[in-house]
Amino acid sequence: MNRDRPLFGWLARLALAAVFLAACIAKIRDPETFALSVHRYRLLPGGMVNAVAILLPWLELTTGIAILLPLRRWRAAGALLLFLMLAVFTGAISLNLARGIEASCGCFTTRADAAVSDAWNLLRNGALLWLSAMVFLEAFRDQSGQTDEPS
Amino acid sequence: MNAEPQGRRREVTRLLGACAGLLALSAAVGSAVNTVRPGSSRLPWVGDWDRHIETLAFRAGIPVTFLMGVRDRLRDPHLVLFDARTPDEYAAGHLPGALSLPIRDVDARIIDYIDRARMDSPILIYCEGLECEDGLALALKLREFGFEDLTLYPGGYEEWIAYGGVVTQGPAP
Repeated sequence: MNRDRPLFGWLARLALAAVFLAACIAKIRDPETFALSVHRYRLLPGGMVNAVAILLPWLELTTGIAILLPLRRWRAAGALLLFLMLAVFTGAISLNLARGIEASCGCFTTRADAAVSDAWNLLRNGALLWLSAMVFLEAFRDQSGQTDEPS
Repeated sequence: MNAEPQGRRREVTRLLGACAGLLALSAAVGSAVNTVRPGSSRLPWVGDWDRHIETLAFRAGIPVTFLMGVRDRLRDPHLVLFDARTPDEYAAGHLPGALSLPIRDVDARIIDYIDRARMDSPILIYCEGLECEDGLALALKLREFGFEDLTLYPGGYEEWIAYGGVVTQGPAP
């Protein structure tokens, strides 16, 4: 991707990083309300909800920064973790939709008046999954025969 | 001959190492920030979610809805909205169209609403907020009476006014 269309590669990383850096802000600011969002998915045992609410926003932050780094290995690791997180989020939102739970996804805001999750969230996540896969493949492929050099 | 698979294995190992590094960094920063937060905003590592009102409702089989769902439901002309708080709290302010049905008086007062709430009417119930259990208790009581379509709004009156919801004042008719 990046070899042929470097601008597209850059934009993909920038877009993905912007999404995850924006997503972590409200969660870091208000972990208690984010914990309520996590709890509303009803997927985790009660004892794990707070730990996820404390740590997950920081994983979004570090992976969001990692995919902007010139070091390919860290970029690939960041993109891989983003892909895995998005896969989990998408599965959780799908499950909520299937169960008819009228909760917001808790993705970008922890406010109670956030829009209820719908198919749009799945479409958006599908696009982000594709972007993260592209970023990962580009960084991982370029690692072959190269050490961590600035791109 | 084996150089390529070995090289690939090394790359994968390095990649997994970097993933572990990012996870460890996130855990370290997240833990440190949570530790230095002021007491009121610090989150305990283990919360008491098993006794949270939404968990109790889920276990009891009472569906819950949240602020946006309430706003949608209030447009339904068939909706019956019950306020499970005390008459004084109701008089001080309640959601538009809500009927006062305090949990303590439910046996005596449900008869007042029998012409408005049929067994299959959509019924939405709330009380003060996330710390109050009267709404769930009322939902369970109404289910005993045979009402079928019950939904709890756990955010309750507190959340409604916190997000600028319109309220009506005055005692129950």
